[in-house]
Amino acid sequence: MADAILRVENLKKNFGNLSVIDGWNLEIERDERIAMIGPSGCGKTTFLKIIADLEKDFHGRIEKNFERIGFVFQEPRLIPWINVMENLTFVFPDKDKIDFFLKAMRLEGFEDYLPSQLSGGMKQRVNLVRALIADPQLLILDEPFSSLDMPVKFAIIEDINKLRDQRKFAIITVTHDVKEAILLSDRILILSKRPSKIIQDIKIDLQQKERDISDTKFIQAESELMKRIFFLSR
Amino acid sequence: MKILFGILIFLIAWQIFAAILNVPLILPSPYLTFKSLYNLALQQETYQAIFSTVWKSLLVLLMVIAIGTPVGFLMGISESVYQIFRPAITVVQAVPVISWLALVIFVWGIGWKGPVVISFLSLLPISIFTTAAGVRSTDKSLIEMARVYKVPQVKIIRTIYLGSLVPFVFSTVEVIIGDVWKVIVVSEYLCGSDGIGVLISWARQYVDVPRIYALTIIAVTLGIASERLVKIAFKKVLEKWQMQS
Ligand SMILES: Nc1ncnc2c1ncn2[C@@H]1O[C@H](COP(=O)(O)OP(=O)(O)O)[C@@H](O)[C@H]1O
Ligand SMILES: [Mg+2]
Repeated sequence: MADAILRVENLKKNFGNLSVIDGWNLEIERDERIAMIGPSGCGKTTFLKIIADLEKDFHGRIEKNFERIGFVFQEPRLIPWINVMENLTFVFPDKDKIDFFLKAMRLEGFEDYLPSQLSGGMKQRVNLVRALIADPQLLILDEPFSSLDMPVKFAIIEDINKLRDQRKFAIITVTHDVKEAILLSDRILILSKRPSKIIQDIKIDLQQKERDISDTKFIQAESELMKRIFFLSR
Repeated sequence: MKILFGILIFLIAWQIFAAILNVPLILPSPYLTFKSLYNLALQQETYQAIFSTVWKSLLVLLMVIAIGTPVGFLMGISESVYQIFRPAITVVQAVPVISWLALVIFVWGIGWKGPVVISFLSLLPISIFTTAAGVRSTDKSLIEMARVYKVPQVKIIRTIYLGSLVPFVFSTVEVIIGDVWKVIVVSEYLCGSDGIGVLISWARQYVDVPRIYALTIIAVTLGIASERLVKIAFKKVLEKWQMQS
């Protein structure tokens, strides 16, 4: 792949005696979407932190061909005492961009709300907008939907995919949910438990219109994936 | 209603106790005490004393917050500043009031400066440590979020650290406002030239026990009233801060 946005070679990470990541190799293309599924504690968040420069102590080689990254955390991480607009200008003071993404994420009219006045789904939408306004070339989603209801979750995923079609950024999604992974990715990486390795790299060959939880092809892909995860975990 | 009932019970118990004990030098009856309170209400010097105690208390409160907050803030964001300042402040906290008294009388004699300085010194450590604890408890996940987006340090301090400090400043005021009266009155008693503490010390010289009780009622009322007032005033503001994001 000539045009990789991220290239990882033999990445290893341990916390003291605890070996967490044990030799990962992967490449992500410029507008590719990948999802990672793995048992909890296998180092997914640690990997994302390494990519986002929050964790600088590791072994291996990482080549980053991007300048701007958007990080959607598992919890909203909004500053409680300032409103939605102030939370956004805090990271990137560009009103036009903010207005654009607020609209795309259906948050128009909520600019003056405090985080505590928003529902869980809306907080995660603000979390997403905050990640998007810097115009990231790589968007990271670290289990951002795990606390949300299904319909809320799928509505947000649809909006993310729409935006990605327009703006062509790469996405790395970490999730436990197979449906979520298929909806949000072209490729799914399956991780083993700690010390973790990438044990499967599965291409998702679905058209965008087939990425619909009631589509036959989607259901096929889902049960296929479930089977593989089930076998691998035995 | 229940509160009034409670006060009534308290007064009755007091009356009964005073009657049984029958030593007005230790426990005067409520009747004598309130008569004395009534007399106080007729005297202009009472109001001068209250005014004097109130403004000293406010001055101390202001000084404690003005010095305690920035020092505590620096100690909160830097571990080395914390380690450097902590011993000195711990010592200040442990010095008995009476030692300050000796020093203060030596320097200023009898007057308003003594009570103010003594009260300031005895309340400052609480303010500093509360503030430092507040800064140290700042949500690290918010700081991490800001670092991902390369938000400048100045902005992080202004918005996240200072913001998370607000409830601690308020709770420092809440804690101190209850104590400041007591400390001021004691130090007025010991080295003041005016104020409620001074009136108490005079009443003691004339062995006018009901008057001492009456003055105590005034001091207690001031303390409770100001605490309540602050609580009500802060409640609205603090709701915003205490809610989870
Ligand atoms: N800063 C840290 N210090 C020590 N251990 C850590 C640290 N961060 C994560 N770990 C450990 O590393 C392992 C992987 O953590 P994490 O990457 O958060 O897992 P997950 O795949 O669930 O996101 C866990 O066992 C966790 O306890
Ligand atoms: Mg995680």
